[in-house]
Amino acid sequence: MPAPYLVFKSVSKNFGALEVVSPSFDLEVKRREFVVFLGPSGSGKTTLMRMVGGLETPTKGQITIDGQPVEGPDRSRGMVFQSYSSFPWLTVAQNVAFGMKYRLDISPKKKKERLAHYLALVGLTDFANVYPNKVSGGMRQRIAIARTLAAGSEILLMDEPFGALDAQRREDLQLQLRLIQQQDAKTVIFVTHDVDEAVFLADRIIVFSKRPARMLEEIDVTALLGTERTLALRDSEAFFHLRTKILRLVRASAGADE
Amino acid sequence: MSERPSQGLSFRGALPRGRRLMIAVLASVAVLALWEVATRFGWMNALFFPPPSTTFATLVDMIEEKNLLYHAMVSTGRVWLAFGLSVVMAIPLGMAMSSFPAVGAALEPIVDFIRYLPVPALVPLSIIWFGVGEETKIFLLWLGTFFQLLLLVADDMRRVPQEYIEIAYTVGARPTQMLSDVAFRAMLPSLFDNLRVTLGWCWTYLIIAEIVAADSGLGFVIWAARRYMNTSEVMAGVVAIGLIGLFTDQALRVLHKFMFRYL
Ligand SMILES: Nc1ncnc2c1ncn2[C@@H]1O[C@H](COP(=O)(O)OP(=O)(O)O)[C@@H](O)[C@H]1O
Ligand SMILES: [Mg+2]
Repeated sequence: MPAPYLVFKSVSKNFGALEVVSPSFDLEVKRREFVVFLGPSGSGKTTLMRMVGGLETPTKGQITIDGQPVEGPDRSRGMVFQSYSSFPWLTVAQNVAFGMKYRLDISPKKKKERLAHYLALVGLTDFANVYPNKVSGGMRQRIAIARTLAAGSEILLMDEPFGALDAQRREDLQLQLRLIQQQDAKTVIFVTHDVDEAVFLADRIIVFSKRPARMLEEIDVTALLGTERTLALRDSEAFFHLRTKILRLVRASAGADE
Repeated sequence: MSERPSQGLSFRGALPRGRRLMIAVLASVAVLALWEVATRFGWMNALFFPPPSTTFATLVDMIEEKNLLYHAMVSTGRVWLAFGLSVVMAIPLGMAMSSFPAVGAALEPIVDFIRYLPVPALVPLSIIWFGVGEETKIFLLWLGTFFQLLLLVADDMRRVPQEYIEIAYTVGARPTQMLSDVAFRAMLPSLFDNLRVTLGWCWTYLIIAEIVAADSGLGFVIWAARRYMNTSEVMAGVVAIGLIGLFTDQALRVLHKFMFRYL
C-alpha cells in the first residue's frame, strides 16, 4: 500500500454563515490517481477543489500533499477552468508557454523544446500561431491542459472543463485526457456532474451529497473496469451497469426536489 | 436572417463597410445642406447662425491669417498633457480600487463627490491655487477627466475574469506580475475604449480652461471672437474642435481594431 499523496484531513469550509463542506471531509488520493468529484451543482465540489489549488483555505482541518500542508497556489497544482481557460490576447503557443513564463529554472532553449512537446501532445502544433478566438472550444481546453503540463503541474485540478462542449468533442477530449494522465503519470481531480464522463475517466468516483458537501459513496472504478479506457469500453455491459448504478445514487442524492 | 441583404434598418442588422461610410457621409452632407439652405432662405439669421459656406471660408481664412493651426496645436497639447496625467494616475489607482476593497471603500465616496462637481465651479479655486498660468488650464482639464476615468478603470479591472487571475497565480506569478501581465492585458481593450470616450470629455472642458487669462488655444480664439460678435469665427473655432474630435476618434477606432485583432 503506497503512502497517500494528497490528503484531505477533517476539512470543513464555510463562507460566513453558509456551510459548504460540513461537518468534515476526509479523503486520501494516491499519486497518479484520477479522482472524479460527482454531485449536484452547488454542493461544494468546486470549493473543495479550489482548496487543493490553494485558492481557498479550509475553515477547519487541512489539506496536505506529500505530508506538506497546502499554502496558497503553486505551479505544481494547475487549474483548468470551464470558461476563460486561456488568454485571448496570447496565441495558442504563447498561452501554453505562459505556464513556464515565471520559471527561472528552465533555460529558454529548454522552454522551447517543452513548448513544442506539449503542443504536439495535445495536437495543437498546427495552431501554434493563431489566437484562441480562431479555434474550437475543445482546442481551447486543450490549450489549458497543455499550459498546466508545461508549468510542471503534478496535480491537475479540472473544474467541469468539458462542460461547455458538444458530445462528440467531449468524448474526444475525455479519451485524450485519460491517455495523457496515464502517460504523464499525473494526479487528477476532476469535477463534473456528468455520470458518463465520471465513469469513463475516473479511477475512483466520489459521489457528493447536496450542500453541505459530504461523501455519500466512493466507487472504485478501476477495480471494476480496469485502467485502460477505450471507446469500446463505453458500449460494454460493465460500463452500462456501473453508470446506471451511479445514476441512481446521484438521483437519490439530488433529492426529491430535482 | 443575415443572408437577406439588409438596408441597415433591420434591428441590429448587418451593414457593409462601404454602405456604412456612404450613409455617414450622406447624413453629414444633408445636415450641412439643410443648414446652408436655411440661412440662404432667411429661415435662420445668418448673423447668428452663419452658414457652412461662410464658416468654412472663415476657417480657411483663420488658418491663413490668424494662426488657427498654432492655436489648435496649443489646445491639443494641453488636452493631451492633462489627459495623459489623468491616465497615468487613474490606471494604477483605479486598479488598486478594485483589487483592494479597503482602497475602494476609502476612495469611492470622495471620487463620487468630486465627480459631480461642475468644473466651472472650481475655476475660482483653481486660480487661487495655481494662478492664471498654464497650471490652472491643465488642472481644470485634468479635473474634468481624472475622477470619471478612475471609476471607469476600476470597473474595467473588476470585470477581469477571476479565472485569468487565478491562472496567473497557479503558474507562479507574483501579484505585480499578475497585475501587469494578466489583469492589465485583460482589461486593455475596454480600457482603450474608455480612454477614447473620456478624451472626448476632456475636449469639452477646453473652453472653460482657456477662457481664464489665456492668450492662445482654440478656447481663447472662440472667446475672443465672441467679444466682437464675430459669429462666423466663433463657429469656425467650434467646428475646428469638432473636426479634431472627429479625426482623433476615428483614428483611435482604427487603432483599436488593429491592436485588438484577437477579439
Ligand atoms: N467565495 C464564495 N463566497 C461565498 N459563497 C461561495 C463562494 N464560493 C462558493 N460559494 C457558495 O458555496 C456553495 C458551493 O459552491 P461550489 O463549491 O461552487 O459548488 P459546486 O462546484 O459543487 O457546484 C454555493 O452555494 C456557492 O454559492
Ligand atoms: Mg462547481
